[in-house]
Formats: sequence, structure tokens, C-alpha cells
Amino acid sequence: MTSTREATMTGNRRFRRDAGKLGYYGTAGALALLFLFPLLWSGWASVKTPHGFGLTNYRNMVHYGDGIGTYLVNSVEVTTMTVCGTLLVSVLGGYAFGRFRFPGKNLLFLATLAILMVPYPTILIPLYVLLGKMGLQNSLIGLSMVLVMFQLPFATFMMRNSFEAVPQELEDSAAVDGCGSFTTLTRVMIHTVRPAVVTVGLFAFLAAWNEFFAALILLNSSDKFTLPLAVVSMEGRTFGSIDYPTLQAGVVFMAIPCLVLFLLLQRSYVRGFMTGALRS
Amino acid sequence: MIRSRPRAVRRVLGAVLATFALTVSAACSSGGGSHTAGSGGSGSGSGGAAKGVTITLWTRAATQSQTQALVDAYNSSHANHVVITSYPNDQYPAKIASAAGARSLPDIFTSDVVFAPNYAAQGLWTDVSSRFASLSFKDKVAPSFIKAATNGGKLFAVPHDLDLSVMYYNKTLYKQAGLDPTKPPTTLAEYAAQARAVAKLGGKVHGTYEGGNCGGCIEFTTWPSIWADGGQVMNADGTTSSIDSPQATAVYQIYRSLFADGTMAPGAKQEDGTTWLSALQAGEIGIAPGPSSWLNLIEQKGVDIGVAPIPGVNGGTSTFVGGDVAGISATSKNADAAWDFLSWCLDDQAQVQVVAKLHEIIARTDLAQNQYAVKDPNVVTINQVLAKGQTPYALNFNATYNDPQSPWTTTLRGAFFGPSLAGALSSGQTAITASLKQQG
Amino acid sequence: MQSSTATPQSPASAAGPGGRRLGRRIRVRPAPRGRNRRRELAGLGYATPTAVVVGLLFLAPLVLVCWMSVNHWPLLGSPSVNFPHNYTSVADDSLIGNAAWFTVKYTLVTTVVLFAVALGLALLVQHPRPGVALLRTAFFLPAAVGFATASLLFLGLLSNAIGPVNPLLQDLGLINKPVDWITGSPGGALGSTVTLVTWRFAGFNMLILLTGLQAIPSELYEAARMDGANRLQTLRRITLPLLRPTIALVLIMMITGSLLAFDQFYILTKGGPDNSTTSVVMIIVRDAFVRFDLGAAAALSVVVLGILVLLNVLQLSLLRRREER
Repeated sequence: MTSTREATMTGNRRFRRDAGKLGYYGTAGALALLFLFPLLWSGWASVKTPHGFGLTNYRNMVHYGDGIGTYLVNSVEVTTMTVCGTLLVSVLGGYAFGRFRFPGKNLLFLATLAILMVPYPTILIPLYVLLGKMGLQNSLIGLSMVLVMFQLPFATFMMRNSFEAVPQELEDSAAVDGCGSFTTLTRVMIHTVRPAVVTVGLFAFLAAWNEFFAALILLNSSDKFTLPLAVVSMEGRTFGSIDYPTLQAGVVFMAIPCLVLFLLLQRSYVRGFMTGALRS
Repeated sequence: MIRSRPRAVRRVLGAVLATFALTVSAACSSGGGSHTAGSGGSGSGSGGAAKGVTITLWTRAATQSQTQALVDAYNSSHANHVVITSYPNDQYPAKIASAAGARSLPDIFTSDVVFAPNYAAQGLWTDVSSRFASLSFKDKVAPSFIKAATNGGKLFAVPHDLDLSVMYYNKTLYKQAGLDPTKPPTTLAEYAAQARAVAKLGGKVHGTYEGGNCGGCIEFTTWPSIWADGGQVMNADGTTSSIDSPQATAVYQIYRSLFADGTMAPGAKQEDGTTWLSALQAGEIGIAPGPSSWLNLIEQKGVDIGVAPIPGVNGGTSTFVGGDVAGISATSKNADAAWDFLSWCLDDQAQVQVVAKLHEIIARTDLAQNQYAVKDPNVVTINQVLAKGQTPYALNFNATYNDPQSPWTTTLRGAFFGPSLAGALSSGQTAITASLKQQG
Repeated sequence: MQSSTATPQSPASAAGPGGRRLGRRIRVRPAPRGRNRRRELAGLGYATPTAVVVGLLFLAPLVLVCWMSVNHWPLLGSPSVNFPHNYTSVADDSLIGNAAWFTVKYTLVTTVVLFAVALGLALLVQHPRPGVALLRTAFFLPAAVGFATASLLFLGLLSNAIGPVNPLLQDLGLINKPVDWITGSPGGALGSTVTLVTWRFAGFNMLILLTGLQAIPSELYEAARMDGANRLQTLRRITLPLLRPTIALVLIMMITGSLLAFDQFYILTKGGPDNSTTSVVMIIVRDAFVRFDLGAAAALSVVVLGILVLLNVLQLSLLRRREER
């Protein structure tokens, strides 16, 4: 008798638990679909042609101007330089801000963060003048330097917090082993902050790969154009008839490398966020 | 512990080295690029045409194809080499402005003719008055363009390509609606009546179309009706608006009623210019004004289209002479070679064998009856309209009329959809005048 | 377009006090003077690249912007001082009042919606269960698309020409004729932008909130359950108070990003219909690149920068005071 009552109770509880599970996965699944839907639709629209499905929209894109190859190479160059530059500056800077005391530290850190508070279209004009003075007009390096600057607030913040979270003991033991501060960084620290490095690198990649406005202002000849610039110019060829399908092909073409990299590096950047990178 | 991950260390060092390597190599390549351009410049001197100079040219994406045709023809027959870079239409003025600030303008840059007064006044182009005066055909070049590019008695740019506003009517739909396809409207009231007749066909067919959220589209297509009746939209100096006039009121009353009774296709109210051409290409619009440069693009879609001049309320016709001018930038070191290209573009050979052959409007009034034009009655109509056209002149044209945030865009929205037409035009006239007089 | 700087995704603006707090936590060991001096020099050395980039590519142009703002600055040719003309012309601009009001309204709506969605998602995927990793990925994936690219995507998605939204809603019987979402009405235009921003940034903010959630010791939840607290009570009494620093960070980011919003309006709505979605930064761009009045654009930028710095200082000091209490 008691055993049957117990059985019904567990049955009830199990039922309630199952219903709860169903509700949870139903809601979460629907939300996930809602978030994925625009991406899936864009992919679908980019291969849709008036006569079914095909790659016409992509073919239109590939044969534009100097050929998509030129723009692709330029984009790869700008992205590589921006990622490397951002990592170089922000790892060293984060190390300095996170583990050292030096005069002007707070001031420099606040100045770095202030980059976020400036309406960026304005600052591009003086930057253009300045790069010209440095002989970096119409150069992919100049553009990359500007992109590194725009990445610094996020990157420095992230790296600083990451370095701060490294236990003091680790640094001490390196010192005992006779490491200078630079060897400590390259041999010990860098492994501990690797998730943050991946996160910073990934966001630098996204920014550089997708940048339109700075590229428009800073690049002067079409042989230096990057992909976003080419895709938008392509759209404007016939004024008065926006070609939505080709536009979506451009969107997909731009998004795929980002999505692939995102999924590949997922483990690292999630850890980059989790292990204190954004702890405050 | 310390020596546990030499591979990762090497990777980081590798990345750092790679950065430097990239920096160095890219610096060299970009330095080399500017060097070649520079040496081209030093080689020009006088009569740079003979030596073979690289001339850089900027244009906006929308007019790239015609410029490209001229450049290809020029490059294949000259020692000089013109290199085009085309920028997205919306961002082209931003590009010009920032490049000017950094003194890195190309040798030649083109501009929408209505923006030319501003560039000329800002001193972005070099003075070509004496060069132009030496041309044998100097009096036969589109006069309204010459005026737009003149500032303080000096000429700063020359016509590059032309685009006129005309009426397009769909002959197939006209026949279906019982209208005579050989009798396009001669007054604006007839235009409205014919549009309403076609609208009666129903289904996907609509009477007419406009860019109801596009300042540039509306000025281009409705101002000719005001001019045809002897009205003006502003004074000759472009400093005072006169949009609150009887002629303008009569014109916008007609368009307002076409929006109100649904003769306009539903998309017209929000049309900001981005799907304007597609609407006409679909072949479901009875009659609508549009740019003459679209004639080919519409015919290519198999639409049996007729071209007529834009009429005024009481008859008469006119057109908005739009398009691009091209000038030599004030900072160019290749002015002679650049002028060699610009003057070549205007001579008989280029105008007829390149421009007219592409069914584009030519910039020379004396070549209107060329071998290509006479073959197509629509082109003849367009060339005839050119003589009666105007190009409005104002220093602050873009900010006042074309920009989405311009007072003109607010005015036309009020005139078409607001509570009162008279109110929209009178408050609009005040706002437009204030914007025209605004100084930087 | 500079998606990463003009948008609410960068968390750095909140760093000031966080850094100081962390600084306090880390014990600086007593060390011989010579060693301290050496470490100071080393720190300076590592910070030099940052100093060079910030100084050369940010502070120097910023000084130039300030200088431009007190000058009549022609595109070509020499500038002339005209202070305070540029600043008074900012006040005279008839568009600026509307733009400022819209920017504030947009910031409020975006912050509320984006925060609610991000927190909801974070709570949804807070605890490890089978499949949660997949859900997190799905919510976070839009962050991989550049913001300008995402704007173009929504331009198609919400369009009448090829967008699936109208046919879908018509099939469901929710609307009886196609709606012009982006340009049809001020409400629709605002809604379209907020939807775009929420889609693009909810996952990113979810991840930041998640880091805060996971720092809350699970014993606290256990204790609450023992006391018989229901879910709502747990959320109000435990989760939200302990999450406050993270929430503050996220809110500051969202507010700064929204006040500088530009790309979404520039690409999607063009400030329309009838100037109803014209933001302050759009006015700056119009002054610089349509009116070619670089002085006025610089003046307005300086004003916006001043307001943002003030606002952030205010937010941070409020936050610090509450924490010290």
C-alpha cells in the first residue's frame, strides 16, 4: 500500500519534471530558432534565383571590378595586420596594466577607454590628415593602425583583467626560476591568459573584416579596396534598383569566415569571457 | 613548468615577428605604389600628353559605366593612362570632403552637377577658364552645366555625362486602357487623367509612380513642370526659395491628388530612390517621370516604352538637366594630362562614337542630330528636350534638397501627405531659404 | 562601419572602478626599492606601445578635433578662428533638438529591451543541462556577423521585395496587407532598429551576464531552497543583488553604445521616415559630409564627447557609492 502511494508520487513528480523539461526545451528551442532564422534565411535568399536555385548571385559578385580576388587579398592583409597589431599592443599593455605599477598608469588606461566615447566618424578626418603626414595615405597599414586603435579599449580591458586574475604565486615561482618580467610573460603568463588572447584576436578579426566606413575614408584607389567597400560599391552600380539577392550573397560571403572562426574558437573565447576576463 | 610549452612560445614569437615582417613588407609596397604615381607626375611638365602619364580619376558608382567607356577608348588611343576608382554613391561626397582635407584628391574627380557650385566655391577644382576658351566648340557645350561649374567668372569643371528627366509611358498598357499610344500628355492635367485611365485596369497595374521619400527624385521630375509654366523654385543665385508659388502649388496639387486617390503605386510613398528603376522595369506602371538614362534599362526588360517631355500645368515642356561634371583637382600635379583627357571627352569623335553610341545624352548641342540619335525616336525626343532644360544652381544644394534630412524632403512629404499643401509649401519655403543662406 | 566602437558591444567603458577594485585586491608585496624602480620601468616599457597608439592615433586627432571646433575649417585652404560660432550654430540647428530627443528615446527603449532579453537568455542557459551549450551558441552566433553586414541582412529580411516577414505574418493572419517595416512609420522604423540591435547584441550581453551569474556561489541557491524560497524570490533576493556589478557594466555599455548609434540608422532607415530616426551622430555626419562644415561637426562631437564623459563619471560614482554602502 505504502509502496503504491510512493510509486504514484514519484510518477507525479516525474511527470511534472518531464513537463517542465518539455516547457524548457520548447521555449529555449523556439528562441534559438528565432535567433538563427535571419542567418538561415540570408543563406537561402542568396542562392535563390528567379528560376529556382543557383549560384548566379555569387557569380555576379565575383566578377565585379578588379575581381573579387584583389579585394579578398586586401581584406586578408588588413585583417591579419589588425589582429597581430591588436594582440601585440594589448598583450603588452594588459600585462603592464594588470601586473605593474608605473606613473601615469590610470591616466593612460582612462585615455584608452575614452576611445569608446568619441563619435568615430568625426575623428576619421583628422586621422586621414595625420596618416598622410606619416606617408601612410591609401595604405592598408594605415587602415590597420586605425583599426587597432579602435579595438584597443575592448582588447586592453580584456587583457588587463585577464592578467590581474593570474595568481601571484605563478609569477613568483617564475621569478624564483630566474625569469625576467619579459620571459615571465612569454613563458608563463601567456598560457594562462590564452583564452583572452583568442577572444581579443577574434573580435579584432570581426572588426577588421567587416569595417566599411574607415576603409572608405582612408583608401584612395580601387586596387586597395577591401571586401566591404567592394560589396557596397557593387550595389550602387545601377541607381534605382537595389539587387536584394546579390546583396544577400554579399552578406553571406562576408559572414561565412566569421561564423566558421566563431564556431572553431568557441571553446576558447567562452572561457576567455568566463575565466575572469570580464570579471569586475 | 617554465619549459613546458616551448611550442606555444614559439608561436607567439612567430606572431610577433610576422607582424613586423608584414609591417615592413607592406610599408615597402605602399611606398613603391606612391612612388610610381609621383614619378608619373614629375614627368608631365608641359604637354604631358605625349609622355604617357598616369591620371587618377574618381567617380561615383552610379555613373561609372559611361566614364569607363570613355576611359577605355582614351587609354587605347593615347600614351596617357587613366585609372578609375568608383565609390559608393551615398558616400561619395564624404570621400571627396575627407580627401580634400588631407590634400589627397585624385587628378580628376567628377561630381553630380548640382553639387558642383559648392566644390567650385570651396576651391577643390583648378581654374580651367583659359583652357576651355581655346576649344573650338566652347559655345556648343551644355550651357547650364557651364554655369553650375562657374564661380566668380572662372570655370572649374566641364560636362562629363548628362541625364534628363522625361516622361515614360507604357504603350502596351495605354492600348489596354483605350488610350492612344501616339498621344502622350501635353499638360500635367492630361498626365493625371491618363494615369487614372490606366489605373482603372486594376490588378497589379497602377497609374503612376514617384519617389515619394526622395528629395532628389522629386526635384528632378516635378521642377520641370514648374519651369514649363514660367515659374522658378529659387532665385538665380540660389539663395532664396520661391517654392510657395502659384505654379508650384498647381503642380503639387496634382501629384497630391494622385497619391490621395491611389493612382500612385503603393510603394511610391516610401520610395527613397533605391527601387525606383525596378518599379518602372516591371511594366506595371502606366506613365511616370524618370531619368532619361534608364531608357535602355527599361527597354531591355521588354517593356514597350514611349518617351515624352515633362509637361507643365498649362502646357509647355521642360526638363531638369542633371548628370555629372568633371574637373581637375586643385592639388593635381598632372593638370595638362588631365585636361588632355577631359577635352578629348568633349570632342566630336568621343561624343558621337562613344557617348551617343551607348544611347547616352551627349554634352554638345551641335551634335544632337548624330548618326546614332536619328535612329531612335525616343533619343531624338530627349535631345530636343535638352535645349529647353534647366539646371538649378545653389551652393548648399545637397544639404537643402538631396539629403534625406534636408528641408526640401520635409517640404515635399508635407505637400504630398501632410494636412495642408499650402501650409507645407509656405513653411517649407522659409526652411529652404534658411538652409540656402546657411554658411559654413 | 566601425561596428565595434559605435555599438554597445564593447564593455570597456565600465572599467574605471572595476580596475581600482581589483587593484586593491591584489597584494603588492613589499620589495626592495631598486626592484620597485626596475619594475616601474618595465611596466612603462610594456605600456609604451599602447601609449604610442593612443597618443598618436587617438589623442592627437582628438586635439585636432577640438581645434577644428573653434575654427572656420574649409575643405581646402587655411582655417580661421571663429569661436564660438560653431558652438552657437549647433544650438541653432533645427534638426538637433529632434535628434537629441530621439537619441534619448532610442537609448531608453534599446537598453530596456536589450537588457531584458539578454538577462532572460542568461537565466535560461545559466545551469548546465544537456543541450545548453548548443543553445548558448545559437544565441551568441549573431555576434559573429559584422554590424554593418547585419544591417544589410535586415534590410533584405524586412523588405517587401524578398523579405519573408510579411508573407509569414500574412499567412498567420496577423496582418492583412504587406507592411513597410523599415520606412513605413516612425514606430516601425524604431522597432526595426531595436529588433536588429537586440538580435545582434543580446547573445554578447548574455555571455557577460553569464560570467556574473556563474560567480554566484551555488551554496547560496541551496540555502534559499532550504528556506523554501520560490524562483521569483531567489531571483530578487539573491541573483539580482549579487549580479549588480555585472549588470552595471552591461548597462553602461548599452547606454554609451546607444547614444553613439549611427550605423543602424545610416544603413537601415536613413534617418526616416520624416527625420523620425535621425540620431545625434547622424547630424554630425551630415554637418561634416553633406554640409562640409567641418567646424560645426567637430563642435557637435566635442559636445557629445563631453556629455558621454560626464554621464559615465556620474554612473560610475553612483555605482561606487552604492557599493560602499
